[in-house]
Amino acid sequence: MEGVSYQRYPRVKIREMRDDYVKFELRDTDSSVANALRRVMIAEVPTIAIDLVEIEVNSSVLNDEFIAHRLGLIPLTSDRAMSMRFSRDCDACDGDGQCEYCSVEFHLRARCIGDQTLDVTSKDLISSDHTVTPVDFSDSPGDDSSDNRGIIIVKLRRGQELRLRAIARKGIGKDHAKWSPAATVTFMYEPEIHINEDLMETLSLEEKKSWVDSSPTKVFDIDPNTHQVVVVDPEAYTYDDEVIKKAEAMGKSGLVEIYAKEDSFIFTVESTGAIKASQLVFNAIEVLKQKLDAVRLSEDAVEADDFGELGAHMRGG
Amino acid sequence: MAAVRDYKELKDLFQHHIESYDHLIESGLETIMNVIKPVEINDPFSKIKLRNILCLKEQASKQRPFLFPDECRQAKVSYTGKLVADVCFQYNDGAVIREKFNFGQFPVMLKSKICHLRDADPQKLVFHKEEPMEMGGYFILNGLERVVRPIIMQKRNYPMSMVRSSFRVRREGYSDKAVSIRCVREDQSAVTVRLYYLSNGSARIGFWIEGREFLLPVGVVMKALVDTTDHEIYVALTCSYNEKYKGAKGAVGTQLGGERAKIILDELHGMSLLTHSRCLDHIGEYFRPVMPGLENESYSVVGDAVLNNFVFVHLGTNNRDKFNLVVFMVQKLFSLVDQTSVPDNQDALQNQEVLQAGQLIAIYLKAKLEEWLEKSRHLLSDEINSQSKSFSLSSLAEVRKCLDKNPAKQISTAISNMLKTGRLATQSSLDLPQKAGFTVQAERLNFLRFLSHFRAVHRGASFAGARTTSVRKLLPEAWGFLCPVHTPDGVPCGLLNHLTCTCRITSFFDSHGNIKDFFKIRLSIISVMVGLGMTPSLPKLETTGPPEVLSVLLDGRVIGSIPSREVEDAVSHLRRLKLSATSVIPNDLEVGYVPLSFGGAYPGLFLFTSPSRFIRPVRNIIHSVDGNNIELIGPFEQVYMEIGCADGGDGGRRENLPATHEELHPTGILSVVANLTPWSNHNQSPRNMYQCQMAKQTVAFSSQALNYRADQKAYHLQTPQSPIVRTSAYTKYLMDEYPTGTNAIVAVLAYTGYDMEDAMILNKSSVERGMCHAQIYQTETIDLNEEGGRSDCESKTFRRSTIDRSTHSLDFDGLPFVGQMLHPADPFCSIYNEVKGTTSSKKLKGSEPAIVDYVAIDGKNKKQLQKVNIRFRHPRNPIIGDKFSSRHGQKGVCSRLWPDIDMPFSGSTGMRPDLIINPHAFPSRMTIAMLLESIAAKGGCLLGKFVDATPFASSMNKPDGEQGSEPSSLVSELGSMLISHGFNYCGVEVLYSGVYGTELKCEIFIGPVYYQRLRHMVSDKFQVRSTGTLDQVTRQPIKGRKRGGGIRFGEMERDAMLAHGAAYLLHDRLHKSSDYHIADVCSLCGSILTTSIIERRMPATREIAGLPLRRASKTAFCHACQTSKGIENVAMPYVFRYLAAELAAMNIKMTLQVTSGAGDR
Repeated sequence: MEGVSYQRYPRVKIREMRDDYVKFELRDTDSSVANALRRVMIAEVPTIAIDLVEIEVNSSVLNDEFIAHRLGLIPLTSDRAMSMRFSRDCDACDGDGQCEYCSVEFHLRARCIGDQTLDVTSKDLISSDHTVTPVDFSDSPGDDSSDNRGIIIVKLRRGQELRLRAIARKGIGKDHAKWSPAATVTFMYEPEIHINEDLMETLSLEEKKSWVDSSPTKVFDIDPNTHQVVVVDPEAYTYDDEVIKKAEAMGKSGLVEIYAKEDSFIFTVESTGAIKASQLVFNAIEVLKQKLDAVRLSEDAVEADDFGELGAHMRGG
Repeated sequence: MAAVRDYKELKDLFQHHIESYDHLIESGLETIMNVIKPVEINDPFSKIKLRNILCLKEQASKQRPFLFPDECRQAKVSYTGKLVADVCFQYNDGAVIREKFNFGQFPVMLKSKICHLRDADPQKLVFHKEEPMEMGGYFILNGLERVVRPIIMQKRNYPMSMVRSSFRVRREGYSDKAVSIRCVREDQSAVTVRLYYLSNGSARIGFWIEGREFLLPVGVVMKALVDTTDHEIYVALTCSYNEKYKGAKGAVGTQLGGERAKIILDELHGMSLLTHSRCLDHIGEYFRPVMPGLENESYSVVGDAVLNNFVFVHLGTNNRDKFNLVVFMVQKLFSLVDQTSVPDNQDALQNQEVLQAGQLIAIYLKAKLEEWLEKSRHLLSDEINSQSKSFSLSSLAEVRKCLDKNPAKQISTAISNMLKTGRLATQSSLDLPQKAGFTVQAERLNFLRFLSHFRAVHRGASFAGARTTSVRKLLPEAWGFLCPVHTPDGVPCGLLNHLTCTCRITSFFDSHGNIKDFFKIRLSIISVMVGLGMTPSLPKLETTGPPEVLSVLLDGRVIGSIPSREVEDAVSHLRRLKLSATSVIPNDLEVGYVPLSFGGAYPGLFLFTSPSRFIRPVRNIIHSVDGNNIELIGPFEQVYMEIGCADGGDGGRRENLPATHEELHPTGILSVVANLTPWSNHNQSPRNMYQCQMAKQTVAFSSQALNYRADQKAYHLQTPQSPIVRTSAYTKYLMDEYPTGTNAIVAVLAYTGYDMEDAMILNKSSVERGMCHAQIYQTETIDLNEEGGRSDCESKTFRRSTIDRSTHSLDFDGLPFVGQMLHPADPFCSIYNEVKGTTSSKKLKGSEPAIVDYVAIDGKNKKQLQKVNIRFRHPRNPIIGDKFSSRHGQKGVCSRLWPDIDMPFSGSTGMRPDLIINPHAFPSRMTIAMLLESIAAKGGCLLGKFVDATPFASSMNKPDGEQGSEPSSLVSELGSMLISHGFNYCGVEVLYSGVYGTELKCEIFIGPVYYQRLRHMVSDKFQVRSTGTLDQVTRQPIKGRKRGGGIRFGEMERDAMLAHGAAYLLHDRLHKSSDYHIADVCSLCGSILTTSIIERRMPATREIAGLPLRRASKTAFCHACQTSKGIENVAMPYVFRYLAAELAAMNIKMTLQVTSGAGDR
């Protein structure tokens, strides 16, 4: 073990970044690292979500569990989540999870008085902490127009009422999907496309066209001037092998060679809005580092306890 | 959104139940009253007769407002109306005195004419806490919804030739051939008349009275019916034979007919019954003992009564018509014997109709009313004869008082009980094929199941036990009327069928909702037929027969004959008249033209206007009247019609037989449920059958009025979705009101091995986000009046005990809080017994927690609360072991909730499947439509549109004349849709392992498929036990999941253990873990029963503190041998001792020979 270093220096290049979307390249590393990053982003970056609901009055058409479940799935702004405590680890409240260090309290009071159906939405949730609020999906913050009223929780008709207290806590997506900050995280291997130009020249324009069209995504195109086949967007390639099959069907196998680069990944991250997509990546790296630290620590302590590998697993997990 | 939807398409599916009941209320009851024979009491000659029955809506009053269906369901009472009728008394031909009698609370069908909710619009229905699309058609009895299950019967008023070996054993000389006709009276009661062929050439007419069959020579009946000569009878019977047509097409008569006619007439001579009156007297003499009320009448009067009441009752008192019908039947019988025509198939839908709710109730009500009248007569005559009291029949008050001993209210009670249990409580069979199983509970597990109860028809309980399977066969005659797909597999397979979505049942009502005047209709049909060249039969009997002329029968009455060359034109003309809205010919007239053939079915023109027939619409492509070319046809005529498919082809017909009609749409042959399977024409047919079963077991959006329902058990899907891929029927029948599943992203791959053998992996995160979440609602009704004995019935109330702390989770009124969580064995209500001063509580059963969903109290009893409904809600979110299914008969059990991050993901979209199934599910089952659905749904998602998946869509030629375009295949259509959105043509995608992040080496088929959650859940089924209750007698573990019993280790399991040689394990299972017992056996006498334990008296010792007390030593002792010398301990199953005891009770002594050591003999 000693002396040999497998250390590499991965590079990240951000291509596109919005609040809820980020696309970046990850180079010079393994698929295991890329996948670890993906898994952590989905399941282990902490967020805050409603975890306990005390219903005072519920005369709506939906039953208590249904409403509680819906409340749980509402994304809350969770920038504070990394620094918050898990309720189970909180010593300020002896684990009952209702103190300010590990929880945020919400109140909801809605009653329909008019003849119009009343939509109870996430905006009706009143938070005790202004940093933890239901995610506002409107384009410009503060725009409280009627067409953007947040996520509907339940609809009330005349005389129906909903009154409840909810406690939001920190958690991770592994425990329940409601704590997952990621809507979608995926990565693809960067493809490397080599067109055999000599073989390509043996094709007529018609054949070229049909070959280019055989790919469901727009990877290749024909230069209008030179009538040469060019790669316009290699990343559009989905490894569906359609063009290779087509080339074989045309009797020109080897027309194109496509490899997946083993060490380059293109990540797409979409966030639920709980935290910014870019922050999600940073947090994921942070969580990953913590996990590695745990592994490293346990390596030192391997001799100390008798659990061996199991002990390391227990601490790391 | 439309303000008020009319749910016409759906209503049509339930209509036949309602129309049938409506007719009963509107005119059926009155008809029954009119035809019921008055009873006479002899003393001062008087009559009692029923008149003017009225079934009223319950009158609302201040004290007691009337009940609406919802209130009946909640309070577990019946939805009824008061049945009042006038009973007429007449003394010595004096004036008729009418007295109103209350016949009790008569069950009311929902949405019938006398229902409060008739014509209620959705808004009103919602106001009354019903579904906005409540269709009615069922009864509410004790809070349960019960529906009359239609039963298939022999077609009424059609003489059917049959061959049955059981006829032969009837009596000496009978052959196996007969012609049978089920004659139905105006009041819907029926008498079946059979004409048997005797091997000597004669024939007998047989009919049933009071469970006994009576047989009469056909000649006697003919002569008794009409005053006629032997010659006339001879000519009538032999007219169908003509030398000229011998061997010609359609010649049914043979030379032998004349011989047989002679035999029939000779029989009469042999009995010296030569004249009309002699024959009538003969019948009267023969039948007088079985005709009640006619004991003192002359023979001829009795004879007339027999002919009126039992022979061809559908023809009333017209004896000439009856005579003509006998002649027709004899000719048909002879033709059957001579094999110039084939027997009719009893199992074919051609010769069948249905027994409906109104008809069933009418028959039963009539029988019960007659019973009541008869009993009343007995009571009154007993009262007169007793003479102990001064009873005067002339005093109505006294008569009423006397009749109170035989309360009229029991009539409605009897009807209610019949609907409650489905059982007839009568002496005779009422000419019905069965005595039980007429009604079923209309379960609202989901809407499809509910709907299917109304569309089901049963073949009859008598066939369920029959060993022959020919009745279960799907016959071509059922085409278009019964669904070939929608029948359960297993015991009722082929017996319980479902009507197709286009099939209707003819009713008593015309299209304007007025009761049809059958008399007028028949008259006009006759006049039309005469205009078309028919010779009416009444003036003179026809002297020729087929093939020259064909008999014309209208509802079982011979109305004449028509020359065979004109018949086709006549039929065509009739069909045109059917289409016309202005003609008197009803649009559901069945024109059963059986053409001439070489030894085929017996020819004739059979017209039917009767109700209870199956009908379905087809397009007439020859005629069109006022733009209407939709003709309603029945199964009888369908067999002889040329109906083409609407695909524009000729269907393989030859040119001389062009299609005259066309199917409206190929999906018309499928039931509603079968029509919901997308692209079912691409599936292997058994899979479609399985889907029909599973659709009815799906946990779905069960009811929109769920909050107001008090069903014993209701399943409810929390997060239903509308399917992306749907058939046209889905939209037509508004299934979006009651969606049944979820569009799950399904990947077809073998991942992790947890998807082997039809198991499926669910994505844990998907489930956590709400996929397939469900609840079970369970209602407990607590009625303190019914609790316990009668002694302290008035003294119980709901109250919480002040002392008992265990019930303090309840409210002080003894009832639970709404929203309260209860755990197994928690009390959910507390009852205070005022007499004893004790409180008791009801405990939650089962093994899972429940939440109190709602508590309803019955405030009828003003003083104290006596009746409550408490509804519990059991959350049932998917767990391992729950059952799911796609819409293609592909069911599977959830084997793991797999973490989202470990699921494979798509590189391009990042999607993880909700559900993984194994590819092995496809090759042998060939559910291609499921693959198509996946591709289509994927395309639909990308396009943002629903995809139409109507089966057989390519078998319809496009209305806009699009024949020119290439008949592109479905797959290429769907594939190109995917291509245009940058996806693979075949619906496959490249997935990456969620665990390693590496590409999976093959492309994975993935796409959304509509999945249903089935109601079979582990939480209801798991059974586990280590130790527990034992059976008292055998000391073996008890059975039954509810009582905490074990699972039987049966004989086959034992065999398997033996085959493995696992003797020790076997011993453990069957002995040690079961009824292990050490018995004391007396080796001297060999008995195990005579030994007993005797506690030896210890010598008196003083107890010393601190020292343990010496145990009293026990010794076994044999009472038979009076010694304990030979006592041995032997291990044995306890049942062995029980066996010995049982044998001893039978005076059999069992001895054991006990030796020591295993190999020692």
